Amino acid sequence: MRKKLEVQDLKISFRTQAGQVQAVRNVSFDLFEGETLAIVGESGSGKSVTSKAIMKILAGNAIVESGKIIYDGRDLLKISEEEMVRLRGDKIAMIFQDPLSSLNPIMRIGQQITEAMLLKNKTMRKTGRMEFNAMLKVLRDNMIAATSSDAENVKKIDEVIKTFDSFNIEALNLENAYNTAHTTAIETATQIDDTLFLHEKKQKVDLKVVATTVVNRLKKVENKYLLNGFEEKFVDAKNAFAASVGTVATNPEETVKCMKAVSELLKEITSAEKPNFFRIGYYKFKNGNDDFGTKTISEINAEMLDYLNANFMNDFIELEYQAVKYAYMQSIEKKKVALKRVAELRTLIEAGNFTKKSIASCRKAAVDAVKASIDHLLPVKSSTDYTFESSLKEELDRYFFYEIKNPKEEARFARQTAKREALIARGKTVDWKVVPKHIVDLNELKSHILGVLDDLKANYEDLIANAGTVDFRKISVDLIDYFKEKASLVVYKITRSLARKQAIDLMEEVGIPEPRIRFKQYPFEFSGGMRQRIVIAIALAANPDILICDEPTTALDVTIQAQILELINKLKAERKLSVIFITHDLGVVANMADRVAVMYAGKIVEYGTANDIFYSPAHPYTWALLSSMPDLDTNEKLEAIPGTPPNMIYPPKGDAFAERNKYAMQIDFEEQPPLFRISESHYAATWLLHPDAPKVDPPKMILDRIERMKKKEETDNG
Amino acid sequence: MAENEEVLLRVEHLCQYFSMGAGRELKAVDDVSFDVKKGEVFGLVGESGCGKTTTGRSIIRLYDITSGNVYFKGKRVCAGVRSYKNAIKAAKADFKAGKITKEECDKIVAEQKEQIKLAIHDHKLSDKEYAVSLLEELKKEYTAKFEEAADDREKLLALKKEFKSKCRIAKNTKMITKIQMIFQDPIASLDPRMTVRDIISEGMVINGITDKAYIDETVYNILERVGLVREHAGRYPHEFSGGQRQRIGIARSVVMKPEMIIADEPVSALDVSIQAQVINLLNDLRHELGISILFIAHDLSVVKYFSDRIGVMYFGKMVELATSDELFAHPLHPYTKSLLSAIPLPDPEYEKKRKRITYNPLAEHDYSVDKPSLREVSPGHFVQCNQAEFEKYVAELSKN
Repeated sequence: MRKKLEVQDLKISFRTQAGQVQAVRNVSFDLFEGETLAIVGESGSGKSVTSKAIMKILAGNAIVESGKIIYDGRDLLKISEEEMVRLRGDKIAMIFQDPLSSLNPIMRIGQQITEAMLLKNKTMRKTGRMEFNAMLKVLRDNMIAATSSDAENVKKIDEVIKTFDSFNIEALNLENAYNTAHTTAIETATQIDDTLFLHEKKQKVDLKVVATTVVNRLKKVENKYLLNGFEEKFVDAKNAFAASVGTVATNPEETVKCMKAVSELLKEITSAEKPNFFRIGYYKFKNGNDDFGTKTISEINAEMLDYLNANFMNDFIELEYQAVKYAYMQSIEKKKVALKRVAELRTLIEAGNFTKKSIASCRKAAVDAVKASIDHLLPVKSSTDYTFESSLKEELDRYFFYEIKNPKEEARFARQTAKREALIARGKTVDWKVVPKHIVDLNELKSHILGVLDDLKANYEDLIANAGTVDFRKISVDLIDYFKEKASLVVYKITRSLARKQAIDLMEEVGIPEPRIRFKQYPFEFSGGMRQRIVIAIALAANPDILICDEPTTALDVTIQAQILELINKLKAERKLSVIFITHDLGVVANMADRVAVMYAGKIVEYGTANDIFYSPAHPYTWALLSSMPDLDTNEKLEAIPGTPPNMIYPPKGDAFAERNKYAMQIDFEEQPPLFRISESHYAATWLLHPDAPKVDPPKMILDRIERMKKKEETDNG
Repeated sequence: MAENEEVLLRVEHLCQYFSMGAGRELKAVDDVSFDVKKGEVFGLVGESGCGKTTTGRSIIRLYDITSGNVYFKGKRVCAGVRSYKNAIKAAKADFKAGKITKEECDKIVAEQKEQIKLAIHDHKLSDKEYAVSLLEELKKEYTAKFEEAADDREKLLALKKEFKSKCRIAKNTKMITKIQMIFQDPIASLDPRMTVRDIISEGMVINGITDKAYIDETVYNILERVGLVREHAGRYPHEFSGGQRQRIGIARSVVMKPEMIIADEPVSALDVSIQAQVINLLNDLRHELGISILFIAHDLSVVKYFSDRIGVMYFGKMVELATSDELFAHPLHPYTKSLLSAIPLPDPEYEKKRKRITYNPLAEHDYSVDKPSLREVSPGHFVQCNQAEFEKYVAELSKN
């Protein structure tokens, strides 16, 4: 299985008036493709904070002290907000706990589902062209630099670039016309379906008005590429429909029948093969026409490929190949320089005793060198060099901040302690406590700075070592694909009614009956379960890779809970989603989870597959959770966990659970237990697993229950 | 588990309709009947919006019920008049249609009018009557005492003082305060501007108790009883965690020495570990003080663990009623089956195999001819069904 998401050593705290609350402490886990990871724990154990950190929607007073969240080779904690906007909701979606407060009460449901689709499409169209042009300019410069800069050569290259640009525009015009017709066809089919739906419901529909608009719309569908292979059928259907419109008053059934036929045909047309306009565009640009007679789309595609390659593409790719190779080699040279600069900066920082001023010039040199070493011609961008400047700045700023703050904090602490002791010495009652000092270890911060530099160094050294084996042909082809993709973004337009169709399909998928009626309603008209389905539909609208569910069923009752869980499971299987499921209900966990992480006081205390956790739990906290929940056969007194979770402003020195743990040993109060390995997939952080620890059995209630479950299993199987 | 068979609370044909404007009505609770015995926990389950909470609230008269009767310790404390009015209407219609004579019609109308009068009287004045009866008892008790102490002047004065304060308390006592309620949301049900002491002692103060030392002592005892400490009395609700707030809510309801508690989803808003604390507390209270509990919840494993008998509600109607073991072992009504099949259990292997049964009332039942009613299928096991279904259920039970 492929790793989708990797969380490493995440540490998050919140600044509050009373002090820093350490909400998440060194949490690490992996999420694989198509699996559900459940995070279980009491409220305040840091489950939600972890998930919000992945979405980068932490509250303003949160501080991410260390850690990495790696998605798609990039560290989400380091990338800019602009890049995050592209991932958030698009690749990583979230279902929130309370469906009512995550929907806008004064917006219709349909509008809320389609809103993101339309906005995203608008920006994509805008940025697509800009990125296309920028990349083309970089390519031209590199082409000139790679060959020679005499006037004749420059003229030649400019001409090639101009040809490429012009025939792309030609292709875009064709594709735009095709897309418009395609969209109209889908819209018409949807309109017919809507009308027929209402007609079947015996609602009053003016068939004549609908029929005339359909006739008008059908004219717009007439695109020769779209209708390729369907011309005769289309003309027949259109004529039959036009004829039936005339008799709609006397014979509505005939119109309905024709409508159905048209709708079927349109659906068939829209699902046919799409022509390759990139190639056809060149033919039209060269010959001034695009008349292919009666050839089918696939024939045209194949023929145009040869034509384009023979006349233009082979030369272009050759030039491009040189440019790409040149740019790459240049950047490798510059990377070597950058490595030197970074190494200089590293020695300065490692030596210690540096100030903002003393490293300023060296820092600027390193940052500039890294910036210069970026190869802009690579279609796939790596994150280390792009985020180098910002992450270096962040770490350095933090270092300088605490360099000043730490002594101040020490002084304050000493002053308050002295005051308090003086008061006590005078025999007065003191009803206030000294706020404990918050000192951040500068050496640790320094190691973070060095970490940033080392990351870049490792990355660059790797690239330099592998420079000889890079396949520049492949990069050239990828680059052309990049151009094509950006260009077609410009003409891919989602209209309101197209978005509406997609939304209705989605609502049907999540199990909302009669989505056409529901589409126009407000959130208050929905019951709790339906509202949660809407939230799920919104989350799925962008077809995400990862779905984070933050207690999606806690507010719902059993039957609806079961429906929602089934829905999430179904969608997970269909779309290969990876799900992070946060809850405190162990029954739900048993239903959903492939793997389970039990969290307590900001740490993962036990980690394993669902079977590990439920059939052989190892941590006393897991025991306590399991035994505080009654099942259908429980008769004995429940074992509630005594006390409350610890105050995370002053986290306990040893095991956080020791205070409430009746199996606690002396060492639990003194030292934090490491994660002990129980089996390949099962880990737990408790000293009870240490070889020297006394053997302790889980509470009788849990043993009984496991016994019962096993027996039931056997009777079911045998 | 009920030690004796004495019926503490009897709900008869309870109906609670809400007006939705334009003459339309929402039948939140429709013809629900059940008994709660002394010392018993009666669970009420169903999905949200099925009328569980409304039933609880109607019983302690937070709403005026539309029709039906509620008897507490044999005395009618709530009564609705809709059914009598309907009977009058029907009689008049019958008379117009010529089915009955004028005399018969008049007789029915007079009878029903008498019933309405009685119902309104009971509904409004049951508390007053209870207070009056308490007063009379006190008078009887103290006349004897006064005669005894007639010679000793000082003793007589002390007795008179005592009598006076007791009379004040008796005058303010209401029958309905013997039933107390624990609300679902521990945050919303506590006044943020009152200290815990004020919240817990409010009922006693309203009842006319003025002895500060006595109030404090009672509050402290109750706090310790529910697992809090004396120092908490001076604090405000926002200083407590969710579980502790729910404990305050429980303390407030127990301090009035009720004979019955209506617990409206007391654990739904709480974490698992705190849930267990609260359930254990309720269990202890019930065993020590002998309180009956009407336990409203939608978490079936908790209800099963805690209740002696369970009633299943669906859209304002009671569809099945049985002892908890019987209900879980032999569910009969399709809705109950669907509900039971939706319970998630902490057992991954079982969960992988669990298949949820869906319930579609239109497909399951054919009530076009024979209307359903609550029938006793086996002793103590009632199901909402018509004759055909009744026979089917009996056959199903005898097979097991």
